[in-house]
Amino acid sequence: MTEELVTFTVNGQELKAPKGSMLIKATDAADIRIPRFCYHDKLSVAASCRMCLVDVEKAPKPMPACATPVMEGMVVQTRSPRAIAAQKSVMEFLLINHPLDCPICDQGGECELQDVAMGYGGDVSQYSDIKRVVFDKDIGPLIATELTRCIQCTRCVRFGEEIAGMRELGATDRGDRLVIGTFIEKSVDSEMSGNAIDVCPVGALTAKPSRFSARAWEMMQHPGIAPHDAVGSNVFIHTIHGKVLRVVPRDNEAINEVWISDRDRFSYQGLYAEDRLAVPMVKQGHEWVESDWDNALQLAVEGLQAIVKNDSAKQLGAWTSPSATLEEQYLLQKLMRAMGSGNIDHRLRQADFSDQDAAPVMPWLGQSIENIEALDAALLVGSHVRKDQPMIAHRLRKAAIHNKAAISFINPRRFDWHFPVAHECATDMLADLAAVAKAAFELASTPVPAHLADVVNAAAVNDTHRQLASDLQQAENSSVMLGDMAHHHPQFAAIRKLADALAKQTASHLAYLSEGANSGGAWLAGAVPHRGVAGSDAIKGMTFGEMLANPCRALITLNIEPEYDALHGADALAAAKRADFVVAISSYVTDNIKSYADVILPLAMFTETSGTYVNAEGVWQGFKGASVAVGESRPGWKILRVMGNLLDLDGFDYVSSEDVKDELKQQCQDIQLNNSVECTQPVQVAKTTGLQRIGDVPLYAVDALVRRATQLQKTTDAQQNAARINARQATASGVADSDKVKVKQGEVHSYLKLIIDEAIPDNCVWVSAAVHDTLSLGPVFGTIELEKV
Amino acid sequence: MTDTNTILSAHTREEIDEWITRYPAEQKKSALLAALRAAQHQNNGYLTTELMDAVADYLALTKIEVYEVASFYSMYELNPVARHNVAVCTNVCCMLMGSDTIVDHLEKKLDIKLGESTADGRIYLKVEEECLAACAGGPMMQVNHKYYTDLTPEKVDEIIDALE
Amino acid sequence: MKLLKHYIKSFLFLELLKGMSVTGRYLFARKITVQYPEEKTPMSPRFRGLHAQRRYANGEERCIACKLCEAVCPALAITIDVTERDDGTRRTSRYDIDLFKCIYCGFCEEACPVDAIVETEIFEYHFENRGENIMTKDKLLAIGDKYEVQIAAAKAADAPYR
Repeated sequence: MTEELVTFTVNGQELKAPKGSMLIKATDAADIRIPRFCYHDKLSVAASCRMCLVDVEKAPKPMPACATPVMEGMVVQTRSPRAIAAQKSVMEFLLINHPLDCPICDQGGECELQDVAMGYGGDVSQYSDIKRVVFDKDIGPLIATELTRCIQCTRCVRFGEEIAGMRELGATDRGDRLVIGTFIEKSVDSEMSGNAIDVCPVGALTAKPSRFSARAWEMMQHPGIAPHDAVGSNVFIHTIHGKVLRVVPRDNEAINEVWISDRDRFSYQGLYAEDRLAVPMVKQGHEWVESDWDNALQLAVEGLQAIVKNDSAKQLGAWTSPSATLEEQYLLQKLMRAMGSGNIDHRLRQADFSDQDAAPVMPWLGQSIENIEALDAALLVGSHVRKDQPMIAHRLRKAAIHNKAAISFINPRRFDWHFPVAHECATDMLADLAAVAKAAFELASTPVPAHLADVVNAAAVNDTHRQLASDLQQAENSSVMLGDMAHHHPQFAAIRKLADALAKQTASHLAYLSEGANSGGAWLAGAVPHRGVAGSDAIKGMTFGEMLANPCRALITLNIEPEYDALHGADALAAAKRADFVVAISSYVTDNIKSYADVILPLAMFTETSGTYVNAEGVWQGFKGASVAVGESRPGWKILRVMGNLLDLDGFDYVSSEDVKDELKQQCQDIQLNNSVECTQPVQVAKTTGLQRIGDVPLYAVDALVRRATQLQKTTDAQQNAARINARQATASGVADSDKVKVKQGEVHSYLKLIIDEAIPDNCVWVSAAVHDTLSLGPVFGTIELEKV
Repeated sequence: MTDTNTILSAHTREEIDEWITRYPAEQKKSALLAALRAAQHQNNGYLTTELMDAVADYLALTKIEVYEVASFYSMYELNPVARHNVAVCTNVCCMLMGSDTIVDHLEKKLDIKLGESTADGRIYLKVEEECLAACAGGPMMQVNHKYYTDLTPEKVDEIIDALE
Repeated sequence: MKLLKHYIKSFLFLELLKGMSVTGRYLFARKITVQYPEEKTPMSPRFRGLHAQRRYANGEERCIACKLCEAVCPALAITIDVTERDDGTRRTSRYDIDLFKCIYCGFCEEACPVDAIVETEIFEYHFENRGENIMTKDKLLAIGDKYEVQIAAAKAADAPYR
């Protein structure tokens, strides 16, 4: 698309810009500095602060650069006496009601108002009356407000409306009484609300967790990568005296633009949790004692060797977090395979491993993250993408709003979305997906592939399914995405095959919205039992599911808490307890870890270690350690390297994590990412009967770090300790809203509060996993019973 | 979610529906002012958060959008007020014609200040009423929806005493 | 000839008399010696001696933990930790000045937006033990409490020139 360019002069410098674009965009591109408050590159133009007034020739008054379209032959002066006088006056007006409390303001030192006042303001105000005071409202555990400082630029309001998709903050009252706020006492609940802190040019909105803890000039800034989702948001980690104080976004248009989710922003609090492990611990008899590294590593290695010697290497298992770094995963699998065992898995929340041989070398997004906003249609299967991968949801939102894309969902339940959703199926994921596939085949009059025939032909197609299929069919740029809940589904293989067939039929990109920050990396690194590095042949072993059924005698766990991080937490914990010897490489020490481990090695995590994450689109993003590791904890790659040395294994002589990465990269260079599933094993669908449990892993429960982020745990999103059913089902089951109910899944049960929620389909009970009260239950999908207590 | 149907009366909903038809279908937001007016009327002259939320749901707006509009315009009362809304114009023309005397008289007569309601819940004196575009008849006041011009204290007495 | 002159001079003790005359003159001149420590020289209100932290009249500490003094200190003698006090105000949880590092430049005093950290007229102090050179918040506040009258007077005296 060629745009018509117009030529104009700013300060005597000739510039070109697309016709109709705003002057400030052109001057920014040309590095001509115009002061501004309300203008933000990613938000709509409000032109309310008037700080960007510039002198345009032939215009009777100074014009706001943010709302003045460029025109052919326009002559602009940004520093003429008239422009300077206008800017100075605006600055004086803005400061009339702005308190001079910079010394106690957290924004002090990095405040746009300070900077602009220094650069463009006068030194004396003509105003000598009383300044106005605004009383603050508590808007939740993440954002601290000091609205007396607000200059009403409305950036936060526009952010909420245009980016977060939740209009929670607004400008109430008018004139000199205009107040930014929620009007009523209410918390701001968006999953990316923290960005309002960044867009605020003054100290009206500041981060609550890091409130009053340091000044901008004291902090060291380190680039880093967010460790919670497959987006791999780029962040800056701000540290003081080696301790992480806050995390802010780092611009990367291709990945996270200028935003990050609250999870990425505030999870650092978990680094300094009370149960953080500072020194290695070993079990002596029934007592836990602190140890030094030499002793602990020696014990760990001896214990593993003893099992291998007395039994066999097949009795060795390893469970790794999907958010462990590429280096850690690579070294762990190298260590395991060098010892002769292929029992390693990172797919702790997957239930169905039956088609793993047909799985791609690295399940990925099938497209660039940027492409998502250019989609014309998308179908997400089993994904609460808004909470699971907020930055992907943001791109989808852009597609839905700017591109009028038809974004549809096949989920076990309905969710609140922050963008227009074309269709939402919320009954049975597998049946709906099969129906859409059937509709797609019917639409194109193509025969159904033989291996899918049973399930597809059995599907009951309705109009929604047909429209969904036609949306995908007609779209030029479309995608079928498999989300977290699809991965957790007991028939993931069937879903995968159906999605693949549907994607092929409609020429869509098949996309995996994989769990954890580095599950893509785990596949590449060979942290799967059936393949080695980069999909190569290697010693095969048991999947995580098999390891639960046939517990290994020796186990290495890497940065996980099985009871939370595994799909079937209770089983995983039991399997770990049954192992004779467990080496837990963990950042935290909990009673549960103590109950099964024999040696606990403190792991440096997130900001404390160097490493690499491979995000969903296959980008390798390396990062360096930014903060000082707590206590004696060490980066995972160093721990595994030394264990390799102590086990007398070859090829563990790395000097840096870079060496590890280079070795792996060497083996991965020929990989062409391809999500296509080549498996013609017929799909069998098991019929489910009775009340079914459905659920997800809530966004603030996905990993050990975020579960310990105290402020995040106080948010509305974190309150998931409840069972939800709809009113009809409640009547049928004889329970009522707010009842305490006994939830039974097979042998195990738990007591939960019942909430009536019409978004839940009939015959289903929504019970989230990985939250404290549901730990004792079984997997998120399965038969469940409800009983009133 | 609040149940809009129970909070907004049938009459209010009817009135809002009528206003919605006057605007393009995708611009329900345009009917917000009228909707709030109807809701306020239903509730004896003031809006509650509950009512505003109901209007938001009814027009498919976010709640804060409704709060913004309701707090912006002085015609909407967000705090409980008495059932008769008496607003004396105190803008320039009326002031020159002696609106201060009228205000003083009213305040003394009702024993309340501007912005307060009488204890019996009968009369509310609106604070800082701006020009109501009846300058030719100043001093003037608006009682509920009706204009009274060329006021004198005696005339005011008469009008006020006639209110139930 | 030169030699003769020298002889006469030394014979008559001329140098001695000259010296004695100086001594004699000062013997009767006005004394300028100060009998320290009984007597002290006058001091400028801008004198920069030992540090103190001040309080407001209601007993509330002035320091708001803005860290400007820490930032401006050329000798890096000041260390501050900030915390939110229970009442929601921003306060220091630690305010240390290392007097071995301090060069008494007075920048901290200049930088302070609330006149919390000041340099008093105290210059006679000593340390007996290692570690005493660190002036903690408690010590600084105690000095401020003790010398508040003097500090306030010095500030007032200097105010017209600021």
